[in-house]
Amino acid sequence: MVDRVVKRFGGVTAVNKVSLSLEAGCIYGLIGPNGSGKTTLFNCITGVDQADEGQIRFKGQRIDGLKPHQIFHQGIGRTFQIIRVFPELTALENLLVVTTDDYAAARARAEHLLGFVKLERLAGEYAGNLSYGQQKLVEFVRVLMTDPELVLLDEPAAGVNRTLLNELLGAVRTLRDRGKTVLLVEHDMKVVMGLCETVFVLDHGEKLAEGPPGVIQTDERVIEAYFGR
Amino acid sequence: MFVITPAMVGQVVISGLLAGALYAMVALGLGLIFGVMRVLNVAHGTLLMLGAYTTFWLFHWFGLNPYLSLLVSMPALFLVGVVLQSLLVRRVVDAPELSSLLLMFGVGIALVNVTQLAFTSDLRSVEYLTGSFVLGPFAFSKSRVIAFAFAMAITAGAFWFLQKTRLGKALRAVSQSREVAQVCGINVQQIHMLAFGLASALAAAGGTLVAVMVAIQPEMGQVYTFKSFLVIVLGGAGNYPGALVGGLLLGLVEQLSSLFLTTQVNEAVAYILLVLVLLVRPTGLLKGRSS
Amino acid sequence: MKRWFFAGLAVSLVVLAVYPLQGTGYGIRTMLQLFMWIALAQSWNLISGLTGYVSFGHVAFFGMGAYTTAILVTKLGWPWLAACLAGGVMAMVLALVIGWPCLRLKGPYFAIAMLGLNEVLRVIVSYYEGLTGGGSGLSMPTLHASVPIYYAMGLVALLVTALTYVIITSRFGLRLMTIREDEVAAEAMGIDTFRYKLYAFLLSAAAPGIVGGLAARDQGYIEPMSVFPLITTITMIVMVLFGGKGTIWGPVLGAVLLFTFQEIVWARFIYLHQLFFGAIIVAVVLLMPRGILGVLQQKYNLPRTI
Repeated sequence: MVDRVVKRFGGVTAVNKVSLSLEAGCIYGLIGPNGSGKTTLFNCITGVDQADEGQIRFKGQRIDGLKPHQIFHQGIGRTFQIIRVFPELTALENLLVVTTDDYAAARARAEHLLGFVKLERLAGEYAGNLSYGQQKLVEFVRVLMTDPELVLLDEPAAGVNRTLLNELLGAVRTLRDRGKTVLLVEHDMKVVMGLCETVFVLDHGEKLAEGPPGVIQTDERVIEAYFGR
Repeated sequence: MFVITPAMVGQVVISGLLAGALYAMVALGLGLIFGVMRVLNVAHGTLLMLGAYTTFWLFHWFGLNPYLSLLVSMPALFLVGVVLQSLLVRRVVDAPELSSLLLMFGVGIALVNVTQLAFTSDLRSVEYLTGSFVLGPFAFSKSRVIAFAFAMAITAGAFWFLQKTRLGKALRAVSQSREVAQVCGINVQQIHMLAFGLASALAAAGGTLVAVMVAIQPEMGQVYTFKSFLVIVLGGAGNYPGALVGGLLLGLVEQLSSLFLTTQVNEAVAYILLVLVLLVRPTGLLKGRSS
Repeated sequence: MKRWFFAGLAVSLVVLAVYPLQGTGYGIRTMLQLFMWIALAQSWNLISGLTGYVSFGHVAFFGMGAYTTAILVTKLGWPWLAACLAGGVMAMVLALVIGWPCLRLKGPYFAIAMLGLNEVLRVIVSYYEGLTGGGSGLSMPTLHASVPIYYAMGLVALLVTALTYVIITSRFGLRLMTIREDEVAAEAMGIDTFRYKLYAFLLSAAAPGIVGGLAARDQGYIEPMSVFPLITTITMIVMVLFGGKGTIWGPVLGAVLLFTFQEIVWARFIYLHQLFFGAIIVAVVLLMPRGILGVLQQKYNLPRTI
């Protein structure tokens, strides 16, 4: 597939001339100490914030400046650091609101996705009543309802127990195998190192390093960024 | 269109600034509540109204100099604010913003009704100062000038409090981040009560100063609530010094537009300005923090 | 359970339909007002209950409908029914004009903007005196026909409730609710929140517009004070909050309960109205934020379509 290119953009102090380039069918990790600008970067990509300089391109088209719902329809989905399910809607409804397909098709797909993460029996539960981990899974599959090509995950592993986490990671790998691209922000190093093919490191809003996990782990600057200051 | 002389413009500009300081002071109160608690006090004007009535009755019964009544209205409403906060507002501080909006709305209309019952809706006024100061080609009504002076003094005092005292700094800390403030050992609930009390006192001061200039009736507060919101939006939500700028700006715009438009349309001006600003820069003209 | 409910509903409808044949003039006018409040409350529910965007100025649409109808009837000789429908249309136009800029704002800011709306409209009405009769109002030839208006109001109330049902059980309604739940997430999930809010807002203005026209017709005389009073908005809000916002029957319940209460209290304590309503709002927000139906819903795990 075509290059997904996220080019340079200078944010306000949050993100300073960061360039990332993503290709189809890979899993990327975005790491960095707290406050390094990771979520801001996500926000810029998804239209929640506007980049001040630079461009963001997706499949050859510029997407910076679009509103979040438009970006979603371009094929980019994201989850949030703090879970944002719709608590007064059931798990199933959480998924249903996403697509504009006819009801039957949407419902079938929603049920299939819930099955994918083994939550079928909770389809009729109000999302607000689900456990933390279950809500995370719902949010995760909700993003997949329209089959986006690029999936941004903001700290998917946070607060999730081991078993659930493995399911989640397995699901992410399946996505990759189907040709999707995944970019995740994560603090849990084991997850990042075990899952991602390429890792970007941000520090103080700047891209510090880029490369396969093994290389990043031994990169001095990265170590210093995390522990040295 | 008639000729506009520089003198007229000057008059209007200065009038605007005079009025603006008053708006700024009252709006600062609103801003404090919003900044510290993320609550939009739609009953703010009601507090102002209560301050005005306090002044009126003190004047009527005891002949107390309206400006001296500041010493009564401000502390009294401070207490009212603290009570309101600890009884009612504190329960909705963490609820969705809708709840606090509706709550204050209910409180506001209830208070207005109580006032109507207690004092009737008859128009009152405090006949204290008449006449104007004349300075060259300009003439400014005395009450306006004095109101300006007090408003500036009180606002300055408020800022001094915020910047220089420990409590004031604690308040600003809570505005920035409640969690961090808590971790630093600040009693957040106390700060909330303080903020609401201060805001009420500022509104009361506005009411007192205004009592000499306009007709007092139970529903007078509504327009001030709205204008306070406008000021906050102009100056940036959560941006305290911004309230000053916003207030002055509103005063200016109002006076300027009265030059070109009929007084009836003036109300609409404030509204249209609000909508315009909210469209263009939802976080306010100055750098503020969005909710 | 459901069958009893529908049976009860059908019976009530039949009773209400034949009531005018037996009822007194006073009774008919009272019921007519109740229908009006049901229609108003339901409409407010459509925007504020579902999307969470509090409309503090909703009475503006009522007034708009009233004035449109009055002007069309007195100046252009329109038949009153058509004029009322036109009132509804004009109310929707107003909603479009206001909603277009204001709905882009986030929830609380929208509420602020709506607060000022009342004042502005009153000013505009005073300004265009030639058309609207300014502060002295407009008079219409009296219509000795409370009965047709009874049916018209009843029909509007019924339709709005039906509309609410259709919306809440549809995906459109679900999407509206996501705006209330978490607007940021809704946007991220591809929902054009602005457009949905606008649709809801337009829909919520239609009934008040029509009903405003009907009420004007019934009164025979309108003036700015009578058609743009804050108390109307307050009443709408209290009814919905009390009964249960975001539900289908909540506004109806709230309207019925509070209207009955109002009829009893009104007779004796006109001056305490706002106080009571204010107190109720405070009490509901603090103790029963989801309203009566909301509480029942939670306790007995009732479906959302209540």
